[in-house]
Amino acid sequence: MASCSRLSLHPFLSSASVRLACNRNVQVEASTAKSLYPPIVPSRTAKSKAAKRRVVTEFFEQLRSCTAQEKIRALTRVQRKKYVIYPHTFALNADRWYQHYTKTTFLNGLPEKYESASVVDESVLSEVRAVVCNSILQEHWHAKKGRTFIQKEQEQLVTPFLRNAVCGLKNLLAKESRVLTLSSLDFDPQVNYYWLRGERTIPEGHRRGRVEPMRFQIDDKPHSQIRIPQQLPEFVPLEAEISAEVPVITLAPDLLPLFRRQYDNHIFIGAKLEDPCCYGHTQFHVVPDRFRRDKMSKRGLSDQVEVSLRANGIASLFAWTGAQAMYQGFWSEEDVSRPFVSQAVITDGQFFSFFCYQLNTLALSPSADGNNSRKNVCWGTESMQLYERITDGDIVGLNDAVLKLLLQFLLNKPQC
Amino acid sequence: MLVIMFKATVQRVSTSALKITQNCKSKDFHSVLIMIPHGRRCLSTGSCLYGKILPRKKPRVVHEIAGLEPITYADRMHFVPGLAKPKFPPWERGWKEPNHYQSPKLEDMPLYKDKPCYIFNQRTNVLEGVRQALWLSKSVLIKGLPDQILTLAEDPANQIENQDERVQNAIKNSRLWDTTEHRPPRERFCPSLLNGLLQLCGGLQVTHSELSKRILAEKYSLAATWRRGEDVFQVRGQNGLLLNSMTPLPVVAGQEQIQSTADQALETFYPIAPTIDLQNTHVYQEKNDTGFREDYPYPHAHTLFLMEMGNTPKLLPEQLRAKMVMFAFGNALARAQALYGKEPSVLEKPIVVQSVATNGRLFQFVVFQLNTTDLQSDSGVKNLAWVDEDQPLYEFAKVKPLIKKKVVQVPSGLSGYQPDTFKKFLALYLHGAV
Repeated sequence: MASCSRLSLHPFLSSASVRLACNRNVQVEASTAKSLYPPIVPSRTAKSKAAKRRVVTEFFEQLRSCTAQEKIRALTRVQRKKYVIYPHTFALNADRWYQHYTKTTFLNGLPEKYESASVVDESVLSEVRAVVCNSILQEHWHAKKGRTFIQKEQEQLVTPFLRNAVCGLKNLLAKESRVLTLSSLDFDPQVNYYWLRGERTIPEGHRRGRVEPMRFQIDDKPHSQIRIPQQLPEFVPLEAEISAEVPVITLAPDLLPLFRRQYDNHIFIGAKLEDPCCYGHTQFHVVPDRFRRDKMSKRGLSDQVEVSLRANGIASLFAWTGAQAMYQGFWSEEDVSRPFVSQAVITDGQFFSFFCYQLNTLALSPSADGNNSRKNVCWGTESMQLYERITDGDIVGLNDAVLKLLLQFLLNKPQC
Repeated sequence: MLVIMFKATVQRVSTSALKITQNCKSKDFHSVLIMIPHGRRCLSTGSCLYGKILPRKKPRVVHEIAGLEPITYADRMHFVPGLAKPKFPPWERGWKEPNHYQSPKLEDMPLYKDKPCYIFNQRTNVLEGVRQALWLSKSVLIKGLPDQILTLAEDPANQIENQDERVQNAIKNSRLWDTTEHRPPRERFCPSLLNGLLQLCGGLQVTHSELSKRILAEKYSLAATWRRGEDVFQVRGQNGLLLNSMTPLPVVAGQEQIQSTADQALETFYPIAPTIDLQNTHVYQEKNDTGFREDYPYPHAHTLFLMEMGNTPKLLPEQLRAKMVMFAFGNALARAQALYGKEPSVLEKPIVVQSVATNGRLFQFVVFQLNTTDLQSDSGVKNLAWVDEDQPLYEFAKVKPLIKKKVVQVPSGLSGYQPDTFKKFLALYLHGAV
């Protein structure tokens, strides 16, 4: 028969007991002590979500130390099916959808820089008026042209007028703004941008049920663009609070309609990375024949005219500023440290609309968008009539406000 | 004589084919105009691309014998074997429908004339090159540009700041950086290089305010007619980019030089006729038109820019220079006839028109001075043409270096830049505005 010896509680009560002495100050010692084993991380090659996460994180870490060219190549190398966003689209109310996909807020009117009526030199304005009037009259009246096909009227009348106007204004205003002398004016350039935004569950196929990001591509061909070697100043500070909201579209992009295709993913501002003029200034767009006012009103879509101009402005300028930012080495995990600013003028020959865009964030992909409070901003005007009509050799009803805005747009220059 | 007749018949056959073409816009062909030798339009795209157009079967020949009336099955209202096929009068629609329009024969057209006209258009590829162009325009050739323009080129006050670096940037932009593909095709880099150089020249408007009195015109149609010997010649059609100016170009050659041309003989190239390779047509209108209305604020043609991209059709440098001379002459002649009327005479104030042509690397410069519109005879005062040939702007602009046997023969990027060519280009641009 074992006798229960009464054990004293003394060893348990004393704080200097062996057990408690072992537990004390372990945290401090562990941090300074050399770990004998490497950190426990998930595997790289296992078929698990943790492994996939590790691979992606290591890929992003490795990208941070690459040059801009290598970053663009690594992010656009793999081709997959993507939604192609067309700046000129027949879709109804496309501007709200495009705002959602590019995380842009739209503000009516122009930034304070252009809203406050600045004093414009009368002599310069009269020279601008002369250049624009001469360009219009040359195409419509002086040059003897026959009639072309209905679908090619813009190409015959508006495209050469805009070419002459842009060249003439650029040469005229070079003495006011030195950056225009150093700028590069291209005709029929290409602007492309590829990005990831939002997620979708794959409905069918061997990858059914998995969640994948949605890929988008814009391929734009503006009429002309001016690129400068220095950046334009910002309209609002980078972290400023903007009152307007980004519209949220819960429907799938296929319902807009947006269609998916797979081809080379391009990110291009109009020239390759080696070009010293790597920042954008102004783009000029011509409304295609299909989306002219008279054609839209024949189809009963007169209210969609402004909408399609806005959609065009937002898509084209987002693509251009996004590509400019990627050329500087920013991408969705390394967000922009300074805002990228560009301007656009969209015209159908008689009506002009002006757009300004400030890119504050590139982090639109699902992984980076979680805690991103910045949004891109687009300012835009309604379309303004430049002239009422053209009689024999004379332009009736010329609107000076449009010329003033054109002048101010082109005179926007970087600081210093 | 026989040779000339042979060439004329060959020309007649070739011009009937020239009229009928089909524009094929396929990637492989870069919108090449395909010549169809049998003279029929084939409107399907697939067969045109490979030149496989089946020949149309000729209808059976029905012989008419005078005095005998064929017995037809017209009264019987159905086919009867053994009786002839009736010939019904052609049905007239009464109104003109464009999709079912059959043009009348050449002889029945309202503009038909017995005397043929030889037309120089934008697709003409003359055999004898500049010699032929000089004979047709009754001009004398002087090699090299005139001294006034060369002094303009050397003057440092007319240079752009950092000129060489900026021109090289423009070349690299158009040749290397302008595309998402590996390298841009010639149809893209040739116009974009010309645009880049024109932008650089236009930037001089800061210091030279006279440059604001100019404007570019793209697709304008020229028409100029003149008689030479017994033949009627015309220059017609769209040609290229025209720089128009409010003030005329100053006269390049003085009166003594003009009068001394009267003693020089025109170079002929017997046995080849000077009308070779020109479009020969009997249906024409004798038109003289600068392409713009009378109240155009920029009436004086300054410089004509031609781009040779090798597609419609490919012109060798000699033929390209001939095209430049002919179109500069055509512009000057149309202007002279608009100012002084159609009567042929010696001009007191000669008209000067310049021309620049490029294929993306080589530049040709022509300055043409029209002294006389009296082109009927071979003698008398002649016009003057200064031609500067084959000026390279750069030697190579390669995306990938050319390596043979592990030695770099040509490095990648731009190499062999020649600054003098751009100086001449700039001098031609500034001529008249300095």
